[in-house]
Amino acid sequence: MRENEDKHEHLQDVRQKLQESEDDHHAPGTLVLALVLLVSFAIYYFANWKALADVWHVR
Amino acid sequence: MSTISAGVGATPIPIPVDSRPVKGNHPPGMSRTCDTTGLPVCLTAERFIKLNAVAAVVFLLVGAVAALLLALTRWPAVHLLDTVWYYRILTAHGLNMLIFWIIFMEIGILYFACTSLLGSRLAAKGFVVASFALMLSGALLTNWAVFFTGKADVLLTSYVPLQAHPAFYAGILLFAVGALLGVIAFFTTLYVAKRDRTYEGSVPLVTFGATAAAIIAVVTILHGAIALIPAFTWSLGWTGVPDAGWYRIAWWGLGHQSQQINVTAMVSVWYLLGTLSVGAKPLNQAVCRGAFVLYILFINLASAHHILVDPGVGASWKIWNTSYAMYLAVLASLIHGFTVPASVEVAMRKKGHRKGLFGWLFKAPWKNPGFSAFFLSLLIFGFIGGITGVTLGTQQINIIAHNTLRIPGHFHATVVGGTSLAFMGLCYYVVPLIFRREYPMRWLARLQPYLFGGGILLLSMGMSFAGSYGVPRRHWDVEFSGAQFAAGFDAGAHLMLGILGVGGVIAFLGLLVFILQTVWAVFLGQKIENRPMTPW
Repeated sequence: MRENEDKHEHLQDVRQKLQESEDDHHAPGTLVLALVLLVSFAIYYFANWKALADVWHVR
Repeated sequence: MSTISAGVGATPIPIPVDSRPVKGNHPPGMSRTCDTTGLPVCLTAERFIKLNAVAAVVFLLVGAVAALLLALTRWPAVHLLDTVWYYRILTAHGLNMLIFWIIFMEIGILYFACTSLLGSRLAAKGFVVASFALMLSGALLTNWAVFFTGKADVLLTSYVPLQAHPAFYAGILLFAVGALLGVIAFFTTLYVAKRDRTYEGSVPLVTFGATAAAIIAVVTILHGAIALIPAFTWSLGWTGVPDAGWYRIAWWGLGHQSQQINVTAMVSVWYLLGTLSVGAKPLNQAVCRGAFVLYILFINLASAHHILVDPGVGASWKIWNTSYAMYLAVLASLIHGFTVPASVEVAMRKKGHRKGLFGWLFKAPWKNPGFSAFFLSLLIFGFIGGITGVTLGTQQINIIAHNTLRIPGHFHATVVGGTSLAFMGLCYYVVPLIFRREYPMRWLARLQPYLFGGGILLLSMGMSFAGSYGVPRRHWDVEFSGAQFAAGFDAGAHLMLGILGVGGVIAFLGLLVFILQTVWAVFLGQKIENRPMTPW
């Protein structure tokens, strides 16, 4: 019984540590900002390829 | 008792100053403890940080006046300067802004990173003195050559066979040797701090980033020597004209990498300002340090993107350097671009600002100019400078953008909206903590980053879109006044050039506010003695 309690304590400790770890890296707003950056980049990048294709035709 | 100012919205943390010994290896009477941060301050380092900061701001003022004149010339409705003075001022603008202002600041940052953050004294004082003397003489000599000889209108790149007055090259070489001595003093101090065990474990991330910047600086200066020593001896008539193709490759090893020293130093400053303003801690030390290592390894190769339309080098060389190596350097910026704001978000959430996705951002200390300058710098650098930079660095796309105003549109977002704005944010802490003077008219200081950042944003967008219409860079008269045939650009391009001009004026006002306030604070500001700085 005592042994089980010790194991339980250990598990609680792990959960707590995991929780702390998750909090330490929880940045959903920054993730959205990063996604906005990537979408902006994709639009700008392919608009430039389109502009290039309009100027330089491949025959 | 003292407090750590963890920024607006944070509770000052009481720290018993008297019971905290000054750490490190300082000789008696050669250090003090910062009343605000609790960090030990080496008095020798403090003196040279001050000297470098003052010199930086003086050259910033010269570059800023030049910037205003250029903006008012590229704005066709004003077209202020004549053709000779346009190229003369453009040369002065590039040198003072891209080289002198920023590198004086960076040497000051290196001295801070290797002393206060490691609890060490500044070693190799002779090198430090010589460094400042050479950098100052070099910067003055180059400016003299540009403004007073009338024989140095060769722009920053000074591509041979354009030949400048020997004093032009000599000044840059003196400045570079001075900067190298400063970097050697930095590395020597790192060694002394390690030897004397003034700190435990690894060096702090900001010092690690500064070390990356210093390593890149050494490689940069070597490239500068390869390009400019033959140009100098040629200008004296001792040797023949250097090979133009080799000159361009070697010069960009100097020209591009000097901007990457800026980027690396700027990222270090972001981490520092995040800590000073909101108490942010780096999310993952290994990842952040790994990103700095990527800069060291790949940023040099990325300088090839400046010569993507150069007929002297082959397509394979260009594609390897820009479509492979350059992306690894970009990856480093993407990592920092995520971890820096994420560290701010985590810090703000820990303070209880957890509402929605962006509650932490709305509640951030936007009235603290140290924070607003840092975060605006991050946004302008990433969203404008980063996106345009990766696109323009693609070999195929470069062919439609090369030598247009899109290029300065890109690098004004990185170097000015990014680096310069971040360094301004740093000054809002350097002046109270190192000079121990308060800023006057704090409401104006709070406004300044928005004024400057907004102006640069307009200027950069105006340049980029005017460039998309095909408007060339480094061109005195895009209307080709007096030409036999009708030339010039349509109304859309003129609108964008007008936005460029308006943005330039606003940015200049923001910069003027910064300089006047900083000079006032340094010489006439209220003294901070035996008390922490007033929190922003």
